Amino acid sequence: MLKDITLGQFFPGRSFLHRIDPRTKIIAALLYIVAVFLCDSIMSFIILLAATLALIALSGVPVKIIVKGLKPLIFILAFTTIYNVFFYKGDHILVHWKFITIYLEGVVFALIMGLRIICLLTGSSVLMTYTTSPIMLTDGIERLLSPLNKIKAPVHEFAMMMSIALRFIPTLVEETDKIMCAQKARGADFSSGGLIKRARALIPVLVPLFISAFRRASDLAVAMECRCYRGGSGRTRMTKTHFGARDVILFTATVILGTVIVLSNIYFPIWMI
Amino acid sequence: MTKLKLVDVNYTYSEGTPFRKDALRNINIEIEDNCITGLIGHTGCGKSTLVQLLNGLLFPTSGEVMFDGKNIKEKGYDLKTLRHKVGLVFQYPEYQLFEDTVYDDIAFGPKNMGLDKDEIDRRIREAALFVGLEERYFEVSPFDLSGGQKRRAAIAGIMAMDPDVLILDEPAAGLDPIGREEILGGIYSYQRKRKNAVVIVSHSMEDMARYSDKLIVMNGGEVFMQGNCREVFSETDKLLSVGLDVPQITKFMRELKSKGVDVRTDIFTVDEARAEILSKIGGRGNA
Ligand SMILES: Nc1ncnc2c1ncn2[C@@H]1O[C@H](COP(=O)(O)OP(=O)(O)O)[C@@H](O)[C@H]1O
Ligand SMILES: [Mg+2]
Repeated sequence: MLKDITLGQFFPGRSFLHRIDPRTKIIAALLYIVAVFLCDSIMSFIILLAATLALIALSGVPVKIIVKGLKPLIFILAFTTIYNVFFYKGDHILVHWKFITIYLEGVVFALIMGLRIICLLTGSSVLMTYTTSPIMLTDGIERLLSPLNKIKAPVHEFAMMMSIALRFIPTLVEETDKIMCAQKARGADFSSGGLIKRARALIPVLVPLFISAFRRASDLAVAMECRCYRGGSGRTRMTKTHFGARDVILFTATVILGTVIVLSNIYFPIWMI
Repeated sequence: MTKLKLVDVNYTYSEGTPFRKDALRNINIEIEDNCITGLIGHTGCGKSTLVQLLNGLLFPTSGEVMFDGKNIKEKGYDLKTLRHKVGLVFQYPEYQLFEDTVYDDIAFGPKNMGLDKDEIDRRIREAALFVGLEERYFEVSPFDLSGGQKRRAAIAGIMAMDPDVLILDEPAAGLDPIGREEILGGIYSYQRKRKNAVVIVSHSMEDMARYSDKLIVMNGGEVFMQGNCREVFSETDKLLSVGLDVPQITKFMRELKSKGVDVRTDIFTVDEARAEILSKIGGRGNA
């Protein structure tokens, strides 16, 4: 069902990564993403894979859940792989049949791209969304961006909007589920017929969903004003996070990862070909 | 006759994740024809989960759901027809209205069943009558109705499908006393006319004592007691021990008995109590 969408979903726990300050994790995730794009040799990919596996181990999130979270990626992966296998030009011909030519370089490149995409998503979601609750995440973003307050950017309002949006995604998913069930009970059919018939079948779901989303938004606004919400100035936080030894370890480790990858590119610039 | 039967049913939400939650354990119940079954229990005891098992919106983690003697999990079982035959009105059904007019909204279910126009029209008028929705509302947008009227329109939408089993999840929740009375009374007269099976989910003992023939009492995901109203309400202590209530009049009779008047305590309607008290004090009912 809809609730099985796990990509970008918080997985509660008390692991090493769970207990790190969200700011550190955001910065580490950015560094990690840079590191992924720096990978340019076999050695560097091996190091990247090892680092990603280590991250998964440190997060305590079951591999099954992570693999399930990658499912929506299948299309993108399939597309890039096929594209690269058939259209990448190189020197070593593997298959030549009529107008189709497949080069060894193409296959290697396709593998690399696939690996890159998988690592990119796994690593950044393990660092951020799986191990950081949405509230903590936006809190972290708000504090990282707080210098922008100096130039009068509405950082707090932006972060508040984001946390509200994130907070209501599961609610809306649940609500969609419920409305779909209710309409199924009235004989609605969402899974048969052509494209147009299926799109039309969604009307009984979308109309109540929109109405309830607007009702919720207005209720929430009233409730917030009733509790004297006046924007960010002078607001304190319920939970204050602090940098600790763990944060230093994670940060240093990611910096080292980046450095090692750059060095391995320089000193072992080998591909399989 | 037994329409629906649950055999050793367990249900677990989000199996295999940290959010895993046992909602139902070891459920064995039967829903009979020509009978109003009251399903009663605290909030969170699994009533809504249970009713969704009855029309194949959820499937048990283990155990069987049988409709008319057939296991609904069997390969090739026609779930669509099952959902026509087992009508389920969700909790707060007013949030599922979507059509331009009340009439069209009530027609949504029957239309999905592929009925012809005249039959749909006949059913809509009949259902609206049962729930007390006047015809002048037919061409109104459902979003312009009051909360209680929306609820009626939504219930009429399922009644118009003329199901063999009509299940209503807390049909009277959040309504004022008169609204409750009218909706439950409407369901009652509907069942008495149709003689089909009706299941009403509620947490009000008072309402259930008045409107149901049979009771299934749930507690913490399990069936705690079942039987007809008299059987259930005669075990007041057992009900009170898990924090469930008994009708006020039953409490009153118990109080009376503890004060030394020798009356029966397995009484759950005011009329019955009146007769009992009159017979004890030797008077004749003349009002
Ligand atoms: N979609 C769901 N996912 C996970 N847990 C749920 C879900 N729906 C209900 N539950 C849990 O199952 C239990 C039974 O819920 P429910 O059947 O709605 O109870 P009731 O209708 O009696 O109030 C509750 O503890 C509730 O938290
Ligand atoms: Mg419920």
